[in-house]
Amino acid sequence: MNVVLAIVAMILFPGGLFVIVGSLAYEYVDRKLVARFQNRVGPRWFQPLADLVKLLVKEEIVPAGVNRGLFIWLPVAALAAAFTAALYIPMAGFPPTWGYRGDLVVTVYLLMMMTLCIGLAGANTTDRFSIVGSTRALTQLFSYEAPFLLALLGPAIAAGTWRISEVNGYARENMWMIVTQPLGFLVALIGLMGKLELPPFDAPEAETEIVSGALTEYSGRGLAFFRLGRDVELLVGLTLISAFYLGGLANPLQFVLKTIGLLFITAALQSLFARLRIDQTVGLWWRAGAVLALVQLLILIGLKSLGVHL
Amino acid sequence: MGKQKVPGVFRSALDKAALWSRINSPWLVHFNSGSCNGCDIEILATLAPRYDLERFGVKLQGSPRHADVLICTGPVTRQARDRLLRTYEQMPVPKFVIAVGSCSISGGAFHGCYNIVGDVGDVIPVDVYIPGCPPRPEAIIDGVVQLLQKLKPPRVARVVARVSGGAP
Amino acid sequence: MSEQMTLGSMTELLKPWTVASRPVSDTRLEVETTAANIVPAVGALKTAQWGFLSAITGLDNSAAVKADSGTAAASGAAPAHNGGGFEVLYHFCRGPSVLTFRVKLPREAPTVPTLSAVVPSALIYEKELAETFGVTIEGIPDRRRQFLSDDWPTNLYPMRKDFSPGSAEGLAQAAPVAVAEERRGTLGTFIVPIGPQHPALKEPGHFELTVDGETVTHAAIRLGYVHRGIEKGAEDRSWIHNIYLMERICGICSHIHSTAYVLGVEKLAGTAVPPRAQAIRTIFAEMERVHSHLLWLGVAAHEAGFDTLFMYSWRDRETIMDLLEEISGNRVNYSVNLLGGVKYDIDAKGTDSLRRGMDFLEKRTRHYLKIVTNDESFLRRTRGVGNITFEQANLLGTVGPTARASGVSRDLRVEAPYLAYADFPVKTVLDTRCDLEARFIVRINELFESYRLIRAILEKLPPGDLAVASPRRVPAGEVISRVEAPRGELFYFIRSGGGVKPDRVKVRTPSLCNWAAVLSVAVGHKLADIPMIMVGIDPCFSCNDRSITVRRRGSDERWTWEELRRYGISYYGGDA
Repeated sequence: MNVVLAIVAMILFPGGLFVIVGSLAYEYVDRKLVARFQNRVGPRWFQPLADLVKLLVKEEIVPAGVNRGLFIWLPVAALAAAFTAALYIPMAGFPPTWGYRGDLVVTVYLLMMMTLCIGLAGANTTDRFSIVGSTRALTQLFSYEAPFLLALLGPAIAAGTWRISEVNGYARENMWMIVTQPLGFLVALIGLMGKLELPPFDAPEAETEIVSGALTEYSGRGLAFFRLGRDVELLVGLTLISAFYLGGLANPLQFVLKTIGLLFITAALQSLFARLRIDQTVGLWWRAGAVLALVQLLILIGLKSLGVHL
Repeated sequence: MGKQKVPGVFRSALDKAALWSRINSPWLVHFNSGSCNGCDIEILATLAPRYDLERFGVKLQGSPRHADVLICTGPVTRQARDRLLRTYEQMPVPKFVIAVGSCSISGGAFHGCYNIVGDVGDVIPVDVYIPGCPPRPEAIIDGVVQLLQKLKPPRVARVVARVSGGAP
Repeated sequence: MSEQMTLGSMTELLKPWTVASRPVSDTRLEVETTAANIVPAVGALKTAQWGFLSAITGLDNSAAVKADSGTAAASGAAPAHNGGGFEVLYHFCRGPSVLTFRVKLPREAPTVPTLSAVVPSALIYEKELAETFGVTIEGIPDRRRQFLSDDWPTNLYPMRKDFSPGSAEGLAQAAPVAVAEERRGTLGTFIVPIGPQHPALKEPGHFELTVDGETVTHAAIRLGYVHRGIEKGAEDRSWIHNIYLMERICGICSHIHSTAYVLGVEKLAGTAVPPRAQAIRTIFAEMERVHSHLLWLGVAAHEAGFDTLFMYSWRDRETIMDLLEEISGNRVNYSVNLLGGVKYDIDAKGTDSLRRGMDFLEKRTRHYLKIVTNDESFLRRTRGVGNITFEQANLLGTVGPTARASGVSRDLRVEAPYLAYADFPVKTVLDTRCDLEARFIVRINELFESYRLIRAILEKLPPGDLAVASPRRVPAGEVISRVEAPRGELFYFIRSGGGVKPDRVKVRTPSLCNWAAVLSVAVGHKLADIPMIMVGIDPCFSCNDRSITVRRRGSDERWTWEELRRYGISYYGGDA
């Protein structure tokens, strides 16, 4: 792929600008939907943009005693990872900008970078509580990232490939995998919500949205980058899950319909469970999620080896 | 303290964008400087879904570092004074202060009592005072909106200059 | 045995240390004694297991030397002034009876020995006395300030008559005075920056916990962040003006404060308040109890990480807020009381709204009771946690639902009915399990009692006037007014010199009584249990305050309340 195109891809579409706009739009849709479910008016359409710009122009106070380099570059790394992941997925229904065998694993790893960076950021402070927050963020790696990865493996195994574009293609041709691998879908969706700390899979407090206090010390640019990174993750995650489980993404229309549809479901889950809040269930999830995903995989592998075409 | 960078004073378009974003995304941090809780209850009511301040982009933050606006109640007791000051100092610029309730204006019912400073403005610069004992949630919303309307370029520049000018 | 008889037997018991003994009324006895004898006298009382220390009032008689009037029938004889010296009053309460020890002290170097060896809860009251009046307390185990800030100049005692708040202007600029602080145990440096401020009614405050691993080995408290100087301010305001001051001591229990005050003043003035007014006052008091308990329920649930219950109870609480507003015009600080009656009436429409409101709330409250007694994760944090035994509750002078959850039957509405409680009695809600769960259950059951009571009063609201006239000058005398606030016994001591302003108003809030219990119970518990234990006594946030210093192995960590709360939640697997 020639250099000019590559640069355009990274800066404008489907990377860079497009991803930023898309992420902000999706953050808006999510917050608006949740508000509506709770019978409230909710934010205005430009709210996520206003939040982002405000944070970017706000003073960044670097607390004393932290590793300055890490403090400044961790948010950048997190955001960069998220942006890069966007280049491997069928963004907006178009084929991924880049692809190669195994890019599924790379993408999931990139998505994991976000959580890692947050964890490290929390550890890199003198605020004792941020360390607790960072520990919790890292624990999430096991509770949500792992199941999420496993859940994405299911369709990959069914398609017989590690390449996202091929899985996408396979999904387009066959029955929606939400039907054939319902467990996997559930695990993937909940895994994503957990990664993004959406209720009811967040820490028990409703007031703070920021990851478990790990980002307490960040004020301006750093906070802006982390927040944007999370929004990008939402967009990328939804795209992946729709591509894999909802019959592939062939064109922009399908992209919009399917991802927004999924967003609708996550918003509903956020609101419904915020009311019911059956703590036991959430508690169970942490242990059961990975197990469920594994079970799904085993079923899948078993069926495949028996020659059943999915 | 970290270096204080004076944001967006350079180019006019950036200025406008920065200003717009501040008006539309005011994040609050709350501090009680010795209040009887009456105002605090009403602030909470205002932030609760019933009045839904998210419409204005207002969000309540747990940390002063994440906030743009300090919403303060109480007549500032001697013990609370230092902590009020420290909370204010932890906030990155640009920052604004809303003082809620009669106590934060003049000491309110406690005017003349020995252990209070009385006027929040004697401790930190206040942008909006909301009188009432306690003010209704509607009055508090009105006060917040007034603050947002006050954010015109000259005001921001003055705030920023005052804060950064005094810094080492 | 009638109260008069028990008081009579106390007179006998205390004879060896009595200088003069004076029955003020059926339920009040004053025993004058000396500083040297106060400790053995109190000791005798303790051995006889009579009552608990409810408050310690300091008096500066210098201005009162000239005043001396005869009347003040309700409160009994006017006190004999000792020519301008100080007086310390120790009030012991048992049911409706109050036994007050009076110790007269000279103006120069007033000194009393500490009672804290015999009555541990006395320490906090004695400190208040020491800081505000400059009375030296001998043998006090720890000299740190509680109520006044560390930078308040020494030798300046605000409650003395010669101190005027005007001179406080200069104090605002006063340089910090080095105070010799006695620190127990470890050395350490403070980590100064105050962490995140949290919104939900968490206020400036200070607890100090020393931990060994996970277990708390010592707990101390530092109050004073909401200390405004109200008692002094009261001396500068007219009797009527003070209603509005007392109301604002606490925004959550504002009506009960103003009620305690007006009841006291009305007794002094001999005002006969019309029954309709008393009944309306009672309805408001119960409505306030409802709003306070629902608020607490939400906050306590929030502390436990159970945010659903928090949001539900606060949403339902809006019902009672609307009712309060409908009748009084204000959601907070309803200002119902006048000296001599009430301002607002409850008409047919109000009655109807109230009835519907009570029905709705009762249904919701049943739901909460079910949650609180059945939810696993909630019970993990409350069942068997924070036990205050019956003996401890008695010894440490706890009051209110905290005491009742440990089986101590203290409820002034029952023991010493005031307002309309004699005609509309309440049932004391008791629980003997002594743990946090019991405290939840007691408060929820009290809600049911309140609903029932409001309905009962509405059924039979006495007709008549809303208020009678009240004199501008209140006859000289002393009065004690005790009422049952949502958090427990609220104690007012009011002295009039016969003028248009009070000579002394002493307010002892219920939360002050309960801190001693919390601090002693905290020791031995896990750090993660502390948020729930503290919130379990329903600290009236504006009577006290909340940030924490945790001491471990020689270093101090400054935690915020929010951090301690989250620590508790995650310790109990709240994330999972």
